[in-house]
Amino acid sequence: MRRGDPALGAVAALALGLYALFIVVPLGMSAWKSLTDENPLLAQANFVGLANYRDMVHDDALTSSLTFTLLLAGAVTLVANAAGIGFALLLNRTSLSFRAMRTVAFLPQVLSGVIVGFVWRYILAQDGILNEVLVRTGIVDRPITWLGSPLLASFSVGLVAAWVLTGFTTVVHVAALQSIPVELHQAAIVDGAGPWQRFRRITLPMLAPGTTISVTISLITMLKLYDIIVALTSGGPANATQSTALYIVKLAFTDDRFGYASGVAMLLLVVSAVVALSVTGLLRRREVDL
Amino acid sequence: MTLTETRPRAGAPTTSAPDRRRRAWAARGHLTAAGLLTLAFVSPIYLTVVNAFKTQDQIIRSPSAPPVPPTTQNLTDALGRSDKIIQIGLANSAVTVLVSVLLIIPLGAAFSFWLTRRPARFRRIVLAVFAAGLMIPPAVVLLPTIRILTFLHLDHTYPGLILANVGGGYLSFAVFVYSGFLRSIPHEIVEAAEVDGAGRLRTWWTIVMPLLRPATATVAIFLSLWIWNDFMNPQFILGPLRGQTITTGLYLSLGQYTTNYAQLFGVMFLAAILPVAGYLALQKQFVAGLSTGATK
Repeated sequence: MRRGDPALGAVAALALGLYALFIVVPLGMSAWKSLTDENPLLAQANFVGLANYRDMVHDDALTSSLTFTLLLAGAVTLVANAAGIGFALLLNRTSLSFRAMRTVAFLPQVLSGVIVGFVWRYILAQDGILNEVLVRTGIVDRPITWLGSPLLASFSVGLVAAWVLTGFTTVVHVAALQSIPVELHQAAIVDGAGPWQRFRRITLPMLAPGTTISVTISLITMLKLYDIIVALTSGGPANATQSTALYIVKLAFTDDRFGYASGVAMLLLVVSAVVALSVTGLLRRREVDL
Repeated sequence: MTLTETRPRAGAPTTSAPDRRRRAWAARGHLTAAGLLTLAFVSPIYLTVVNAFKTQDQIIRSPSAPPVPPTTQNLTDALGRSDKIIQIGLANSAVTVLVSVLLIIPLGAAFSFWLTRRPARFRRIVLAVFAAGLMIPPAVVLLPTIRILTFLHLDHTYPGLILANVGGGYLSFAVFVYSGFLRSIPHEIVEAAEVDGAGRLRTWWTIVMPLLRPATATVAIFLSLWIWNDFMNPQFILGPLRGQTITTGLYLSLGQYTTNYAQLFGVMFLAAILPVAGYLALQKQFVAGLSTGATK
């Protein structure tokens, strides 16, 4: 076997080089800049050591954005995956109508976050369609300000993100369900297992690899969430829905605090890595235990 | 997981008539429940579609009613805007997606093929580094990426946006899909071609690429969708002065008329129709791509 063809090697080197240039080098630059006070308004950047990281400890906006991001990621991942499993179980039939339902269930995933955000802004507005329905049916007597108060707006962002993610978690779990051999269920029925027992002892363990992927991707998606929030609430009211991604962008492009923005970016990187890796590890172990 | 073995039973249990009737009712109930839930789930999309074909009056009177009689005025208005936001956005997005994907596919496939012949440990390290690219929030590398593009004199340009797409996390996804798929291709096929004297680049193009077609479909479909829907990169790499992709154009124009719902839904409908039509046409490949990821 001949090793090393220079032409293929050159293409491979190009791929590696581009990846290094747009992922590895930027990470190194962020790490370095986080130790400076770089600001486009200043003539030059000074090395400030860990001052940016010390400032982060007292930065209330950072604390609240990180808390919001983590709570949102956790809650939405949980809701979207539970809903996805339930929805997948409900739609996992072979007939044409069920196939059509599975097709449309993925649609939220196809739309850009900007469109999703604007559609829901219209639905959730004070004079929007949700309030109209709620008032008309007498469930509430006054319109609810879904996007107006910090708590409700946070809830609304979670609702919309969960809606989008459920399209994905449903399709992943339908695929996982269809890989379960029918014989397993038949054997369990013959042995007298009830529906709950079969769900708990066959379906759930057999779904586990799909669930691991689905949960991991949900978490990663939520930790970087940007476009839906920008279109839905722009981070408001009172910065209540400002995810850490939005905060980094604001620090860098509105406040021109490049050095500090780089520090917060490093923090988000570490938090994302720790959360994603530890949850994936936990779920992998769960696959074995179930 | 352990399962007790199947105990065959003598004769299948015969079902009685009321039993069968009960089961038919259960099936009908199941279909109804699933249908209602699916309808509720996609109601935001339903609203976008019906309201795109209604006048402002019709929308305000009853936002959820079907468009009777339908109007195409909103779509004509959206297309007739003086800033041509839809036409320009669609054209810019199409070029960005097409060039990015056409560059990522050969780069990702050739790199993954090259990687199959590297020592196992080297391969593992490189794949781990590429996996990180899938996880890194784009906001983390956005500022330095713009710096690098500025250094290359490509900031605020489409070549710059495309270059950042090609080198960034999207390449990670391609390398991941191709590397996973390459594991299922027997080495003998490739080696036979090399014995015949074909160079590695030629082997890759004539033997490996055709075998990788399902992987290429997955990569092309998902990257096209993600790059089409990307918002943060075009927003900051292109900036507001360099024309708009469909997502940034939408964001700018929809901020202007939040009370002109007819106009708003017309613009949104036109912006969404292409990815939705693409998905409906290629849904088998969409699901196949997701399924291999979910069950592997």
